[in-house]
Amino acid sequence: MTDDRQAIKEFIVEEFLPDVSTEELDADYDLLAGGVVDSLGLLQIIAWLEDRFQVALDDAEIGPESFRSVNAIHATVAQLGTEAHAS
Amino acid sequence: MLAPLSDGVLEHARRRAGAPALVWRGEPITYGGLGEMVHRARAQLESLELPEHASVGVPARKSPQTIALVLACLMARRPVLLPSVDLGPETVRELLGQARCSHSLSAGEDGTVGSAATTGEATRSEDDPTSARSPRPDDVALMLTTSGSTGVPKIVPLSHGALDRFTAWAAARFDIAAGRTVLNYAPLNFDLCLLDVWTTLRYGGCVALVDPDRATRPDYLLDLLTSNDVDVVQAVPMLYGLLLDAARDGERELPGIEHVLVTGDSFPARSLAALSDLFPRSRFYNVYGCTETNDSFIHEIDLACGRPDGRIPIGSPLPGVDAVIVTAEDRVVAGPGTGELLVTTPFQTRGYLSQPLNDGRFVPHPEGTDARTYFRTGDIVRRHADGSITLEGRTDCHVKVRGIRVNTLAVEQVLLEHDQVLEAAVVPVPDGLAGHRLHAVARGAETSQLNSLSLRRHCARSLNRAAVPSTMEIVTVPLPKTPTGKVDRQRTIERHPTRRTHD
Repeated sequence: MTDDRQAIKEFIVEEFLPDVSTEELDADYDLLAGGVVDSLGLLQIIAWLEDRFQVALDDAEIGPESFRSVNAIHATVAQLGTEAHAS
Repeated sequence: MLAPLSDGVLEHARRRAGAPALVWRGEPITYGGLGEMVHRARAQLESLELPEHASVGVPARKSPQTIALVLACLMARRPVLLPSVDLGPETVRELLGQARCSHSLSAGEDGTVGSAATTGEATRSEDDPTSARSPRPDDVALMLTTSGSTGVPKIVPLSHGALDRFTAWAAARFDIAAGRTVLNYAPLNFDLCLLDVWTTLRYGGCVALVDPDRATRPDYLLDLLTSNDVDVVQAVPMLYGLLLDAARDGERELPGIEHVLVTGDSFPARSLAALSDLFPRSRFYNVYGCTETNDSFIHEIDLACGRPDGRIPIGSPLPGVDAVIVTAEDRVVAGPGTGELLVTTPFQTRGYLSQPLNDGRFVPHPEGTDARTYFRTGDIVRRHADGSITLEGRTDCHVKVRGIRVNTLAVEQVLLEHDQVLEAAVVPVPDGLAGHRLHAVARGAETSQLNSLSLRRHCARSLNRAAVPSTMEIVTVPLPKTPTGKVDRQRTIERHPTRRTHD
């Protein structure tokens, strides 16, 4: 699980925050308010998550809130993963 | 009868030959010495046998010799175009041609006047220049240029009358006279020099010239200010930023300075508070003006009681200045509200040299209240309920980001309010989906821990999300400047493009 969180963080940093190291990005940092991720960025994140975690995010009722921070993204993926296993 | 500005200088040379006129690279130059240089330049000018009263170009390389050469031209009633030394040769040629300068002159360190004929056709000044010794008030004295951040700079001719009225105001307002020393920070082609160089010389004070080669070295600047007993300082915010940076570690203060003029861009309020430690006995002024109109508003800043929002008002119109605020629909804003500022001053140009550029910029009063010519400044201002006026942005700095109207200047302002940001540029980048995205480049101090995360958090506190730049580059090198010392946004973005991988 922590590895997943780290992978999400690395992706965000690599794609959106070239001047920042992964250690500097707090898992609770508000990516939306800070303008790190806009609506186009959200699409990118969703595409990456689907590929990386093999989940179908477009089916789920998720809004921007699910992507507000690294922790929020992690929780979203974890929840979808659990649901996928349960069904 | 109107005397050209040079007459005042020569008068001081006769009466007070031993008094200091300039300080250049540590050496004082007396009025007697300057007077000799002017006469020598004048004699060489005569020997060139230029067409009578034809304009000449003098590249604005800062030196006592260049100053003497400009004075010699004024004395000879030759309009002088002062192109920035930072302009490319093509642009300078274009400007010399537009101004119909027969020759481009330069002053060597030994005072020798070099001359090069321009390719353009030299003509006499527009009306018949009779052999009268005194210029008429409307005769052109100096030709300055706009910053030209987009395309070739516009030539702004200023008359002898305009210079006469402006220098008289400035001398009286800031006690510029014999025995007083004024710092000149700006390059010689800047309109700011009308106050710090030309007013000072006309009224017999001493100009401490900042060497452009060392203009960004804080220790040099602090020493120059202290060792020359400077009384008046006028500069763009960058100078004060540098001084604050240098004074931060030490206990340096400059108690001798009486008047501190802040001009150019808007100034972060937190820096102002710090300035009062550096200049403990100074009075502070926010001076607003454009090259086209010269100084038009002044506000004495009360550091103890600023506006609650921390913004510095532009203040009240100078004597003889009228101003109106108009909406986008050209209706005059009578009470509180926002709109473009239109200004008319006793010091203004009669219009850009190139007539077609004047359409829509030099206009009559929108309601015909008076017969004066107003200049559309392009500055959006807000008149508050208490009557004070603050700058809001530019008419040409609005873009739409995801459908939301964003003022890029306002975003720069917010970035500058971060206590580790020294300079900032925000540029709209066309984007197929969003309309525009904003790209920001911020310069942090070399020691700062600034990164885009903290800067974004800072922006998000006071900006709409659409106005938080999509991409940010944090640098520690100074940002490129236009010839008039403002951050050159276009060159900044070229030098510091976004590193984001998906762009």
